[in-house]
Amino acid sequence: MTNTNTQAISAIGLDVGTSRIVTARRKDKDLQFAKQLNAFVTIPFSKLTQGVLKKERIPHLIQDSEIVVYGDESERFANLFHKETRRPMLRGVLNKDETEGPTLVRHIVALLTGEEVGEGKKLCFSIPAAPLGANEEVAEHETELKSMFGKLGYDARSISEGLAVVYGEMESSNYTGIGISFGGGLCNVCLAYLSVPVFSFSIAKGGDFIDSSVAELRGEPATRIRTIKEESFHFNGHFANKIYDSLAIYYEDMMQAVVAALKDTFASVQNMPKLSRPIPLVLSGGSAMAPGFRDRFEKILRDTDLPVAISEVRLAPSPMHSTARGALVAALSDM
Amino acid sequence: MTIRSMVVRLVEWRARSFSDPAERLQFLRRRLGSPPANRGSSIRALTRLPILTTLGLAVAGISFMPACRRTLGLALPFVLASAPVTPKAQVAPPAVVQNTAAASLPHVWQVENNRQFDLYSNGLRVENRFQASTEPRSYLAFSRTGALALTHERFTRPAGIVFHTTESHLAPFEEDQNRKLKREGEGLLEYVSRNHSYHFVIDRFGRVFRIVEEGDYANHAGNSIWADQSWIYVNLNQSFFGVAFEARSRPKEGELPVNAAQVHAARTLTEMLRARYGITADNCVTHAQVSINPGGRSAGNHTDWAANLPFEDLGLTDNYARPLPSVTLFGFSATALLEEARDSPLARGLEAAEDQVRSDAAANNLPENRYRHILQTRYKDAITALHAKGALQETN
Repeated sequence: MTNTNTQAISAIGLDVGTSRIVTARRKDKDLQFAKQLNAFVTIPFSKLTQGVLKKERIPHLIQDSEIVVYGDESERFANLFHKETRRPMLRGVLNKDETEGPTLVRHIVALLTGEEVGEGKKLCFSIPAAPLGANEEVAEHETELKSMFGKLGYDARSISEGLAVVYGEMESSNYTGIGISFGGGLCNVCLAYLSVPVFSFSIAKGGDFIDSSVAELRGEPATRIRTIKEESFHFNGHFANKIYDSLAIYYEDMMQAVVAALKDTFASVQNMPKLSRPIPLVLSGGSAMAPGFRDRFEKILRDTDLPVAISEVRLAPSPMHSTARGALVAALSDM
Repeated sequence: MTIRSMVVRLVEWRARSFSDPAERLQFLRRRLGSPPANRGSSIRALTRLPILTTLGLAVAGISFMPACRRTLGLALPFVLASAPVTPKAQVAPPAVVQNTAAASLPHVWQVENNRQFDLYSNGLRVENRFQASTEPRSYLAFSRTGALALTHERFTRPAGIVFHTTESHLAPFEEDQNRKLKREGEGLLEYVSRNHSYHFVIDRFGRVFRIVEEGDYANHAGNSIWADQSWIYVNLNQSFFGVAFEARSRPKEGELPVNAAQVHAARTLTEMLRARYGITADNCVTHAQVSINPGGRSAGNHTDWAANLPFEDLGLTDNYARPLPSVTLFGFSATALLEEARDSPLARGLEAAEDQVRSDAAANNLPENRYRHILQTRYKDAITALHAKGALQETN
């Protein structure tokens, strides 16, 4: 068996999400997580602004006549300049409309790891599963990220996001069960049996879908909807507020879509292993954090006739960390 | 059962002896020939394993034992004790039943914040004039997903609430006692603030006083244990809020331990804390439920709120019937507390915990005392781990 003390300082798990990038590392026996918004905002260049940003240590790049502020600070600057943040990624993969997307992802990862070069460290990064009903080029996305991390000096490999959730949260069932990540761009699902993936898929509905749908319906900016959703929305009770009402509807739509896709996939999958006991299902990702989400999801799931018995529907203890944690477990297990 | 399924179960059983998640995954992937993680539909590799190959893999799994033992840590006594011939003899980790009712969180936000008081949208007003600070909260929780071996993570977010009574002197709650009631209340608040005894105190007029800042620990729970579905918490000063009622657990005959104003204040305070920190109802418990005597390995060292906490009136589900984690996970004895709580709702939880220990011991083919001893060793190892990490705080 390899020495885990050596592993402890030489592997990184990376959740490359549409809205956030999260890193997981292990130092001694402790896990350390860090996250940054996977977003940026551009502001006009001036020497004065550049000086202030440097002094305040705000992550930024100079590009032509603009300053690009990235990571968590981008949101603050977007509010300051009354702009919307922009995303290097869209629906789980690099955003083709943002030519500097890969560069920004690289900078955000460097910001999180605190290092410019990987020095041969193992790095396992998440990628979405092949989507149902969407046309994203996952393979191209994976290749581009792998090449980028390779150039940075990491020994990089990818892991399907749903499988990462299984590795991150299902140790107690020997990595058997269903892991679901409700992310910003996509929902990723994976059934694994004793660590082996049986099937993985994603659907193109996530937090962004909810924000934009409610924004369109209510005539409000998507940023405002996201703020309301993250700060005060919950599933319980009756909503006097129409925005809450709409949020509940689109959350439910997303959950229904995941459960329906799960049912369809079970019906079509071949070589399904014989499961001798009910399996657990774990919910993770930022979009699963709304209070009451687990209960609502479980109700929808229990109302659906699945061919396998589910022992429990569990919300991950730290839903934002599950994918990065699983990617780290995968990276460490490769050593 | 086919040979293949027996082999798979054997590999599964062997995997459980790895406390380190990466090592467990590595073992499973090597034994089951799992391909790289990002390749889909690779279950064929498992379902098509020839019997002889799988038998070989299983034998390899058994021969892996010496290397395994080096990493077994806390799991080792369990493996040795069970010495299984079949996977059935594996010692499974005890389960805590999750109380899902009332798991939904209310929505409360801060309306006003100043040096004198904080005001919240549900009407809660928290007085700040006795506020003190200690050190920022930071604690280790032990994962329940790590089979029998205890793995831990460090957290800074509060996990729950422990309800206390101050057990202080109480003047009759009558109009002509106003001066005395106020004087005793102030004296109590000064005392608990100086000793950082709780995070909040609810006085007899239903006023809520912040004693220790929410981001800091308070010396309220001492030696204590609680667990939810995912984590085990040992010594809760750092991980749980302490909320005390100015009250006595055993009031004079015919009196209630707390009055309506205190219950109302506790409800709004509980709502605020749960909304702000995402605390589940499962982790809102009484001091009697969590308190332990580590020397005597007995539950219920302190017995405040061993009965009568009005859970429902606080917007919570009655937790009294839940099996005590100190008993089911660490083998503590509930006998003394059972004596104290006889005929009270807590007795149901104590009896359920004792029943669970007996049934877990039987499921693992172990005599109850042997199984209990193994669980108690686990507690000792948890304390050792806390010591090693400098996370063991002085207890009250």
